[in-house]
Amino acid sequence: MSIEDIRVLTAQLAADPSSLVFLPLAEALRRRGQLDAAEKVALAGLTRYPELADAHDLLARILGDRGDLERAFDEWDIALRHDARHAGAHKGIGFLYYVAGDLPKALQHLESALQADPEAEGVAAAAARVREALAEPLASEAAAPVVPTEPEPEAAPEPVPPAEAAGAGAIFAGLEGAQDGLLLLDGQGLRLGGGLNAPDGSPVGDAVAAHLAGVFRDASRAARLLSLGAWRSVGAETADANLYLCAPTEDSLLLLVRDNSVPIARLAKQADRASDAARRWLEGGA
Amino acid sequence: MNADLIGSLEQITRVVGVRGAMVVSADEGLVVAESSMEGIEGAAVAALTAGVVSRLARATEAAGRTPPAFVHLQADEGSLLAVPAGEELLVVAVTDPAVNVGLVRLELRRMAEHLA
Amino acid sequence: MRVIEPWVADPLQRFLAESSARLVLLTTSSGQVVAQHGFTRALDVMSAAALGAAIMASTDELGRLTASGASRALSHQGPSRGLFLSGFDLPQGRWIGLVVYDRDSSLGLVRLFFDRLVGELKGLAPQETPAREVLASDFENELNASLRSLFGR
Repeated sequence: MSIEDIRVLTAQLAADPSSLVFLPLAEALRRRGQLDAAEKVALAGLTRYPELADAHDLLARILGDRGDLERAFDEWDIALRHDARHAGAHKGIGFLYYVAGDLPKALQHLESALQADPEAEGVAAAAARVREALAEPLASEAAAPVVPTEPEPEAAPEPVPPAEAAGAGAIFAGLEGAQDGLLLLDGQGLRLGGGLNAPDGSPVGDAVAAHLAGVFRDASRAARLLSLGAWRSVGAETADANLYLCAPTEDSLLLLVRDNSVPIARLAKQADRASDAARRWLEGGA
Repeated sequence: MNADLIGSLEQITRVVGVRGAMVVSADEGLVVAESSMEGIEGAAVAALTAGVVSRLARATEAAGRTPPAFVHLQADEGSLLAVPAGEELLVVAVTDPAVNVGLVRLELRRMAEHLA
Repeated sequence: MRVIEPWVADPLQRFLAESSARLVLLTTSSGQVVAQHGFTRALDVMSAAALGAAIMASTDELGRLTASGASRALSHQGPSRGLFLSGFDLPQGRWIGLVVYDRDSSLGLVRLFFDRLVGELKGLAPQETPAREVLASDFENELNASLRSLFGR
């Protein structure tokens, strides 16, 4: 794509910031090696279309070009949450697993990419290579993991008032939102741990917990009566926040609340980590 | 007007993986218009989705936040997606689990903006 | 919840659990109370049963006059509560359901689960018994007998 084409796309995007033209524009910038600009355009597009798998795939490729493989993996993972058949995401993740030495997972994803897009460039050959490698006798050394599936825990939480220390932050210590934005409750709507404040700073965890029991009941009933199977999660976007509700165990619920800069798909990943923490705490008999 | 609504709903049901789409009265949980609800009880979708959205709105209100502008209920074998259209209506889609959620959300929002 | 006909209990319990209804009254079309939930005074039950039967009867008559057929269901939305009234046919004759709900539920949910309740009752109802003509004194006697049973007096 020529510089003139990029100028045209840029003008189109400026005229209509909500347009999907950010996709070809960011891709064009990426191919020209202008990764800073490409990343800015892709991120701006993602704030408007946080659930567009193509946009996450694009960002992942930009991050991959930068060498930030961990974030690239996260973005492809998010793309697959939105579109489980996304060929590009399967291809990207398959490549990362191959680099990491996890050949079975690499093959699984490459084959998924082929199923979704039989014409996908290079995928058939890559899958064949992986199959050959798997057919060879195993080496004595195990493959070193390079791409983690679970990023390191976020920074330590802020200091909390002594009255809260044993409760609110204990379950989710070390996770983002341990004091405000992560709420664990039982099936009856009683808060088990975590905390949540309204934008004005007032604590609202207990009130929200009471309402969430009803949400859980309605959501699981809807899934059951509409033959959608077992309920897994409810995500919601408001004008000023994104929410994610899931059930770490049969008898507990977890709510994450973040401002809109954190898309729901990212909340889902954070919820996985918080759910692990909640299960450990619950099983520990706390 | 109903023909217009159904036409707009068909834009949503054209997305691969969408089993059906409808416009629902948010307060009463009744069907206003529906398209392609194959194998799905439209009245049940309307009532149950409106119930979830309403309940969630009360939770967000308790949290000092604005009501939801998009709701995605994910289950093992499918999803419900809903976008409010003004204060009185919801645009709802029932989908397969592997649907492109981003595209469905786009189409739901387009229709909701048109209705609001 | 209190029921006179035991086979009504389980379906009605399920209806209450799913619909989150606040008040439920099931009566025959002559006003005999079959089951109730949420009413605290016999007088309220008596009044609601009589009014429900009268509303359904007059609506049916209006339907007959206007050739729009017997009414199936009526609804009314108040400031904080809604009311749903519906007639349905069982082997025993026509019954009436009166449901009051608040913001924990909706007309759509009440209708959805009421239809399921009716389906279950039709499946469980005992063998058809011959219908008998209802006299005014029968109505009151039956209502009083039902109320005594329901309120344990």
